[in-house]
Amino acid sequence: MNDTFFDPHQRATIAAAMARMIPTDDTPGAAEAGTIDFLDGYLSGTDRIYAAPDGNGFEVLTGRRLDAWTQRLEVVRARYVAGVRALDAAAERRGGRFVDLSGEEQDDVLREVERPEGREQEADAARAKVALYGAPVEAALQQTSAEVDLGFVPLLALHTRQGFYADPVYGGNRDHVGWKVIGFPGPASLAEVHQGRYTTIDYFAEDRVHPGTEGLS
Amino acid sequence: MTSQTTAGTRHDPTDVLIIGAGASGATAAKVLTESGLRVVALEKGPWRTKETFSGDELASINRYDLWPDPLLNPRTHRTGVDEPATTQLFCPVPQMVGGGTVHWQGWLPRFTEEDFRFHSVVGDVPGASLADWPISYAELEPYYTAVEWAFGVSGQAGANRYESFRSKGYPCPPMPMSRYAEKYHRGAAALGWNTFPTPQAALSQPFDGRPATVLSAFAQQHGDPSGTRSSALNVFVPQAVATGRYDLRPDSVVREITVDARGRATGAVYEDAEGRLHEQRADVVVLACGAVETARLMLLSRSAAHPHGLGNENDLVGRNVTFHEFSSAVATFDDPIYAWAGGGYVSASSFEFYGHDDSRGFAGGGHMATSGVGIPLPINWSLPDRPAWGAEAKRVDREHFNHSMAASMVVHDLPQHDNRVDLDDEVVDDWGLPVARITLTPHENDLAMGRFLIDRSAEILEAAGATSVQKVYPDRVTGNCSHQHGTARMGNDPETSVLDRDCRAHTVENLFVVDGSSFPTGTGANPTLTIMANAWRVAERIAAGRDAATRG
Repeated sequence: MNDTFFDPHQRATIAAAMARMIPTDDTPGAAEAGTIDFLDGYLSGTDRIYAAPDGNGFEVLTGRRLDAWTQRLEVVRARYVAGVRALDAAAERRGGRFVDLSGEEQDDVLREVERPEGREQEADAARAKVALYGAPVEAALQQTSAEVDLGFVPLLALHTRQGFYADPVYGGNRDHVGWKVIGFPGPASLAEVHQGRYTTIDYFAEDRVHPGTEGLS
Repeated sequence: MTSQTTAGTRHDPTDVLIIGAGASGATAAKVLTESGLRVVALEKGPWRTKETFSGDELASINRYDLWPDPLLNPRTHRTGVDEPATTQLFCPVPQMVGGGTVHWQGWLPRFTEEDFRFHSVVGDVPGASLADWPISYAELEPYYTAVEWAFGVSGQAGANRYESFRSKGYPCPPMPMSRYAEKYHRGAAALGWNTFPTPQAALSQPFDGRPATVLSAFAQQHGDPSGTRSSALNVFVPQAVATGRYDLRPDSVVREITVDARGRATGAVYEDAEGRLHEQRADVVVLACGAVETARLMLLSRSAAHPHGLGNENDLVGRNVTFHEFSSAVATFDDPIYAWAGGGYVSASSFEFYGHDDSRGFAGGGHMATSGVGIPLPINWSLPDRPAWGAEAKRVDREHFNHSMAASMVVHDLPQHDNRVDLDDEVVDDWGLPVARITLTPHENDLAMGRFLIDRSAEILEAAGATSVQKVYPDRVTGNCSHQHGTARMGNDPETSVLDRDCRAHTVENLFVVDGSSFPTGTGANPTLTIMANAWRVAERIAAGRDAATRG
């Protein structure tokens, strides 16, 4: 089974776009985290959707779950293929392919492709915004951000974020760089959580006992 | 849908058939099997064990590992009957053995005495279909205690100044104090407002042979690989199984409840994972699918005796649905809060604005509590004004991930006759059955209450020393709590309710509903403790009725 989906040009284009989504500054960004590997692996097939709970390999999907993920991946792949074309088309008006532009020019191109034209796209964008970041508390509690509903740029932003912060077992967040950038002391591996050894008790209040309950139990 | 001839397997009849093995179905199963009855349970989703769970935010939250997959189990939503319904994952709840208790962090406040006579307390509200409950707090109190002690709930009796009478304290002291809870207590104290450690379905210390709960960051919306959180999956299902009388069949999708010529429920037709049809007969049928799916199944079960759906003689099934709405004021602080610690929901609460107060200009109030911002884990964490990508987005992540928290609230949304669940006339699920269609417009009272409680929440954060506070007012109802109630309300009058006070259908004498469908009003507090307490109560009535029949 291939573990890539993109051709070399598509891969270079998306990798460059991801490097604008989470740029490298004095701390690592999408490039160092390997978010392109995360995404290319995801798009390569249905055999990398769910990591095994102990981090040892991936679940084999069957039946309806397999059907649903096959269907979803087809939609998402098509969006990326069209997205790369859209980036290059917008880049050409600036005199090159997307990968040839400066970082600032690439940002302009991404904003242009992101910008909705017409009411349908506006509605799509509004949904995507709500689903992604528009109302963070609601969006996170209600998992409505069905990937198939997102436009290309919001989808790319979401996948870059996933590749930066998901467990490294999925190919991104290399050496936990995403977690280090923001100071999240995640587990060393999924196995640590799976075996019940991962605790965050050290990040609770210094005095962890509630007033009035000292003598209880 | 008419009764279909099944070419499938016919199983031996059982005493009680329960549809669903989540919070309410598992509670009923425990009580019924322990009373000596034989129970068959049909659960739509899988029977997962702790070995299948992990600390995987991507799988759990972003890839529907626990949520119903929207491509397989869609729902549709519209704000009025004249609008087209669009497909949405509206008010999802995990569909699996354990149900919503698999992904929750288990905030378990009790309702108050006032909640059970809400209509009498607040009077008529134009546009709202308020009703008192046919049961009282006092009647339910022993069952609250029973569930709290079965689960080993961690809490501090007496700390909530506004709690109603309790016959017994909590079995475990509160969970350890998180930094976000500490901020919340301090901010509220500075304002003179009462707070208390949020009672939680977790063990602050070993209890009943189970070890103390592991304080992982991967808890809210994650399954529990340690098996130490308290859930229907970890507590009630094993207790029911231990009786030897619980035949739990996962991956069993019920197509309809069957009835005889007189309209009594006879059992269910269901489809197994291989697509084979089965028929299971029973003396008593109990629905426990959650308020949306229970209403849907009742409406799908049409027959000559019940042409408009089971129990739907008065066109009330699916109506008066309430969902709560969860929203927050969000703050950043100079010092680190680590609001993902323990999963971000080891919290502090306030009922200061829970009870009704005429002077506020709206009816009722809601539970306020603290948490991390959204799912306080890296992928799904955010702040309201954070851009979707770029250098500024990265800066916000880096500077605020460890320094942000939310003061949140649950809106007590009022029931309205036209807010309802019915069957979509176009969209079907992967099994070919019409999906639940939600028609819902928030009541003015819901929005006013949301603004008021968010304003108070922001004041708590400011009093706690926040450097910035943003308010996210709820402007619509999205079902984002996974709370759902009211679609088959209980009452004493068969003309205005679907179920009687024992949650038995007025028009189907051997059909009971034990999930939140029976709630006449949604109240302002997390419902699952009350759902389980009420399921326990109803299951005892069913068992007592069977005893009487046997002796008779």
